[in-house]
Amino acid sequence: MAYKVQPGVIGCAIRPAIAGNDRSLEEILYETTQQALNDAGVTIDDIDGIVVGCNDQLDGRAISVMMASGPVGGVDRDILSTPSGSEHAFILGALRVATGQFRTQLVVAWSPTEASSIPEAERLAADPYFHRRLPLDELAAHAMQAGVLENAVAGIGDLAEAVAEKNRRHGAIAYPDPPVRSQPGPARWPLAAGTTTMPVTGCVAMVLGTADFIAEHGLADVAWVRGMGWATEPSFLGDRDLGTAPALQAAARQAYGEAGITDPTGQLDVVEITDATPYAELLAYEALGLCDRNDWAARVRDGSFTHEGRLPVNLSGGVQTFNPVFCTGLIRIAEIANQVRGRAGAHQRRTVRSGLAQAASGFAMQYQAAIVFGNEKGARA
Amino acid sequence: MSGDRVGIIGIGQSKFTARRDDASYPDLVREAVVTAMNDAGLTFDDLQGVVYSLSPDAMVGIGNAERLGVDAVGAGNKRFLRINTGGATGISSVAAAYYHIASGACDVVLTAGADKVGECGDSQTVLNKIWDPTYERQLPLGTINMLAMSGVRYMNVYGMTEEDMALVTVKNRRQAYLNPNAHLRTLVTVEDVFASRYICWPLKLLDCCPQSSGGGAMVLASEKFIKDRKLEAVWITGLAHCSETYWLGDRMGRNPEADHADAFALGRSFQRAYKMAGITDPFKQVHVAELYAPFSNTEYHSIDAAGFAERGASVAMMREGQFELGGRLPVNPSGGTLCTNAIAVTAMIRVAEVALQVWGRAGRHQVKGARVGIASGNGGDHQFFGTMVVEA
Repeated sequence: MAYKVQPGVIGCAIRPAIAGNDRSLEEILYETTQQALNDAGVTIDDIDGIVVGCNDQLDGRAISVMMASGPVGGVDRDILSTPSGSEHAFILGALRVATGQFRTQLVVAWSPTEASSIPEAERLAADPYFHRRLPLDELAAHAMQAGVLENAVAGIGDLAEAVAEKNRRHGAIAYPDPPVRSQPGPARWPLAAGTTTMPVTGCVAMVLGTADFIAEHGLADVAWVRGMGWATEPSFLGDRDLGTAPALQAAARQAYGEAGITDPTGQLDVVEITDATPYAELLAYEALGLCDRNDWAARVRDGSFTHEGRLPVNLSGGVQTFNPVFCTGLIRIAEIANQVRGRAGAHQRRTVRSGLAQAASGFAMQYQAAIVFGNEKGARA
Repeated sequence: MSGDRVGIIGIGQSKFTARRDDASYPDLVREAVVTAMNDAGLTFDDLQGVVYSLSPDAMVGIGNAERLGVDAVGAGNKRFLRINTGGATGISSVAAAYYHIASGACDVVLTAGADKVGECGDSQTVLNKIWDPTYERQLPLGTINMLAMSGVRYMNVYGMTEEDMALVTVKNRRQAYLNPNAHLRTLVTVEDVFASRYICWPLKLLDCCPQSSGGGAMVLASEKFIKDRKLEAVWITGLAHCSETYWLGDRMGRNPEADHADAFALGRSFQRAYKMAGITDPFKQVHVAELYAPFSNTEYHSIDAAGFAERGASVAMMREGQFELGGRLPVNPSGGTLCTNAIAVTAMIRVAEVALQVWGRAGRHQVKGARVGIASGNGGDHQFFGTMVVEA
């Protein structure tokens, strides 16, 4: 552990696919926050600081964190916001606990679907002079990445469909209701029909604490942060090789180094990957050291990463099952924390001692993060 | 002293102005980053992480514009995240960089950003979009009339006059005249302020900050790294944030949660930062302050919140010249936010200017003998407040 104080996750609330219009965003945030606090067995009075992950373009507000002050308990509290990614909210919250200057942190992220067009909102992120007229949304960037991989790996289209099918099978166990809404028809070439999912409204909250706080409050079922890595790729798609994921390799090196992981497939029990597309999941296998691209076909066919396999990936069903665009990264982190805590519900894997969450956001996985959790305090994996 | 301190080892800022047609948005970020890296004497290989400072995306017209700044800050394949707490973003970013180091995760972290407020068209049109779309946005609110209401309330409760407001402008312009990086450096008189047109009563044009373009950057490092490399540094010894309610109406009327005349959460934030730094009597122990005050009236409640005066007493002390450069406790010797406001980095510049002061490197606006300084940043609808204590 590189950190002065080891952070532990003590509460999680994942609100998948919030349907209907009977709840304001404030109510959704309040309910999710309370659910996470209840899961932790603490109250808002126990919370020293808050980090919020939210996105102005999707919220239609110029400083979207402002609205959160009340419903997440931010009034008279130390609250920060990371609009770059929901996963960054977790990282900053964990860093704050790791200083020893905070005993607890609440981390909250959400992603609404009220924007008249999410692709239009995403296109605003393209460079205004050179790229914006393309038009480039996140699904288009993911498709460009998939196209590069199609060119590099023979037969990857079939593997991608198999990965998507695996995640849908997992999702049917984990979150059977409501049913998955795939993008109608092929989303963007070469993303085949049924391999990407329509955006839904979602919200997720997590509670972190120090060992002292956890001990004093007699809290059980803790997912201890053993290692964190995060990194970014360059600004322009043209400056990147979309068929590789060097920022994820860098993030994995950081996280594995801190956690003492030298053999990820041997030392990890469960993994969550931000599968905005199944191609992204395959690429992450390689960058995380789970499976070289030469072995993708063999590992997909032998079911290594299915719920019956040696190292289940996306027992939650992943983004393929529900896709609240901006908070998919923090959901992956909360899913692994819950697996390590033994509180994942219907998709809990028996005996999880160590797990890995990978988060990606931005055009074609520009931002990457890897978080390793374990169920024993202080222990390296 | 403890070996776990976090130090500031490099500072960069633009010469702020209304427009920078010669520089793209990433160019402005890069300008400040290069200056800060040279000031620190480091190369980009030394950096382990970057915290990007950017408030509303709409101000630069690019969604998640931090993604386009990755190369400018040298963050490729390195730790990178962005902070946004509105006008407080700059000090929140310094705080986030501090947490990277104080946690043990990193030894050297850069925080940087830029803004082109002067080229955004109309910042108030953008800032109207910070309010709730159903209940408040159509009023139409902006940050000017929001803080004009605070001024009206402060006048009513504490007896501040429009002339008292003008005194702040005159003071800060005189100090900005000495700061080559300040945007508005023209000396003005109380009469000049009164002769300027009303923007929103009681605020006149010269009571208001400009829309500035420019960048800011700071390099922070662990005490171990600083000592191993034998670097010069000043130290962040206290920091905190605190927020108020989103709803302006909850600060008004009978029994408000926090009166809109004051800066309740700013005061709470300062109390927490002082506690961490061991400051018990700020008026005696602090030598210089850079307080985020984009309108002349808000400098008064910021001074009150910093604990330099009882609520409302700052007005009389200002008349006595206590907060002038050369006075008992200089406030905003750089000219402050009233003379320069590139929103994404404004609150970072408050920290940077205080760091330069306690370092003895502030140039013509140096406060003699300054060893302990404080900085603040305000964001949202006077909602998010960050504070910091910096010591030599």
